[in-house]
Amino acid sequence: MAGTRSSIGRSGADARRGAEHELLAHTAEVKLRVRGPDFPALAAEAGRALAALELGGEPPPATGGAREIVLRAGDLGALLVDWLNELIYLAETERWVATEFTPQPGGALELRMRARGATVDTAPSRVKAATHHGLDVRATAGGVEAEVVFDV
Amino acid sequence: MTTETVSGLPVTRGRCWYDVPAGARPGMRVPARVYADETLWEQISKDRSLDQLLNVATLQGVADCVYAMPDVHEGYGFPVGGVAAMDARTGVISPGGVGYDINCGVRLLATELEVERVGDRLEAVVHDLSRSIPSGTGRGGRLSLAAGELERVLNEGCRYLVQRGEATDDDLEVTEAHGSLARADAGVVSDRARTRGHDQLGTIGSGNHFVEVQAVDEVFDEAAAGLYGLRRGQLVILVHTGSRGLGHQVCTDYVRLMDQVMPRYGITLPDRELACAPLRSPEGQRYFGAMCAAANFAFANRQIITHRVREVFRRAFRDRGSVRLVYDVAHNMAKLEEHGGRELCVHRKGATRAFGPRHPETPPRYRAAGQPVFIPGSMGTASWVLAGTDGNMALSFGSTCHGAGRAMSRHAAKRVKSGSDVRHELEARGIVVRCGSTGDLAEEAPYAYKDVERVVGVVHDAGLARRVARLAPLGVVKG
Repeated sequence: MAGTRSSIGRSGADARRGAEHELLAHTAEVKLRVRGPDFPALAAEAGRALAALELGGEPPPATGGAREIVLRAGDLGALLVDWLNELIYLAETERWVATEFTPQPGGALELRMRARGATVDTAPSRVKAATHHGLDVRATAGGVEAEVVFDV
Repeated sequence: MTTETVSGLPVTRGRCWYDVPAGARPGMRVPARVYADETLWEQISKDRSLDQLLNVATLQGVADCVYAMPDVHEGYGFPVGGVAAMDARTGVISPGGVGYDINCGVRLLATELEVERVGDRLEAVVHDLSRSIPSGTGRGGRLSLAAGELERVLNEGCRYLVQRGEATDDDLEVTEAHGSLARADAGVVSDRARTRGHDQLGTIGSGNHFVEVQAVDEVFDEAAAGLYGLRRGQLVILVHTGSRGLGHQVCTDYVRLMDQVMPRYGITLPDRELACAPLRSPEGQRYFGAMCAAANFAFANRQIITHRVREVFRRAFRDRGSVRLVYDVAHNMAKLEEHGGRELCVHRKGATRAFGPRHPETPPRYRAAGQPVFIPGSMGTASWVLAGTDGNMALSFGSTCHGAGRAMSRHAAKRVKSGSDVRHELEARGIVVRCGSTGDLAEEAPYAYKDVERVVGVVHDAGLARRVARLAPLGVVKG
């Protein structure tokens, strides 16, 4: 049972917010590791990683106004999965891919995010869902870190 | 039989399987069996398939043994290629044990055409298929359903399509569960799921889903092939897709719900994606109703695609263009079945039901052979027609494999070759390719998968299913 847990390369970073993400090897799906100074910054970085996955590369610049997305859950892991599944839903049903994120003040188990994005020609729902598999949001010396597996 | 230690676990090797006893890891309630030969076992041991299978063996009410088919690979929660049956009275139902693509499945369509007589018309036919059947991620189809119509698809599946003229009674007879699960309850399918699915009926989707034109390349069991209406040199079409965004959202909704209610039932898990509730609980019943509704949507999706295929072949070949459904079978589903006098909820995640000749759910016309099973190979390699066996009820709850099984991550596959290289290689072999994204073709390249011939060899030798015929690819339409 040797796990395939090696990194397959850092995929992005937001130096301004001290957040970064990388994709880890998984036989069939996509596993994302994301880090940030706090949970809202981590969620924003995970959103950027998802946009790149959905579009197969660098997302286009955001156009139009921002929308505020507010979510609550019983723990940070569930909140992260709910957040990513919300973005997946919006991409598939509205062809709107969120690419720019500004965290807003919120409660302990609440995520308030202002998001801007781009409307694309074809709904890019390459990612079916964010799963709870191996879900882990943990405190680190630099802030928080999480891993989440997408069903693709 | 020999016993060895693998990653600290005692593993007993049989003729074409590997057994892990129930006591091998704390919390396991039943033993685990992996069907594999030595080569496949080595591949399987490289990812977390076995680890995930042993996690499934800890679930409440799990019966007898959990199984991994020879195409098993790491998934999320359950491994892909896993089979687990839960006691219907005391056991749980797990959305993660079915997967996000509820009733992802395969159907085989047979024409009366000989491949050699189709000749240079093949490319035009594949092109027309690609224009008539939308593919690609999240791309809606031409059939947009009003709310009342979607309700009927969810509750009635293919039965409703007979009324609309998009299916025949004969189609229903050769579809698993007649394409209509009676326990479906559209009332517990969320508005979000309906929004995702309302314009996706009749679409392939992305990833490894496809419509492939194939030739019957070799027949191994003339009697069974004759019953299925298959002969060497015949042109056939294999369709692989599922419940699209609607099913994905049903799974998302119910994993979330069950994750929240598990403490109420005292359930603790080694992996949150195994989130579950007792089948007889209100939450278990709601998920079962929603899952059956999503499964009906998937049966209807493959049926609408069949309707489109029929239109294409009628346009191309007129009165010689008839297209007959051979069979349609699911490979992501939880079903209530009787095994050894017990009612069990059999979870098949990337595994195919493969009932034998004596089973009452095997269509009467196929009783002398067993239920047909279709095993897609990787893109560009052969696919297989198998027949279910009576003996597999005791070996795998009447189940077999569902494909070749991934051996390499999508990212790694793209590093080996580019999508355009893969496309050129397929075209050099005379295979017509139509796809939404050439760049993504490399993800599904043959080298990213296990050897399907080896996988089929194991299921045949183990008695899970019998070889009937091999199908060679001629043209593929991919998302």
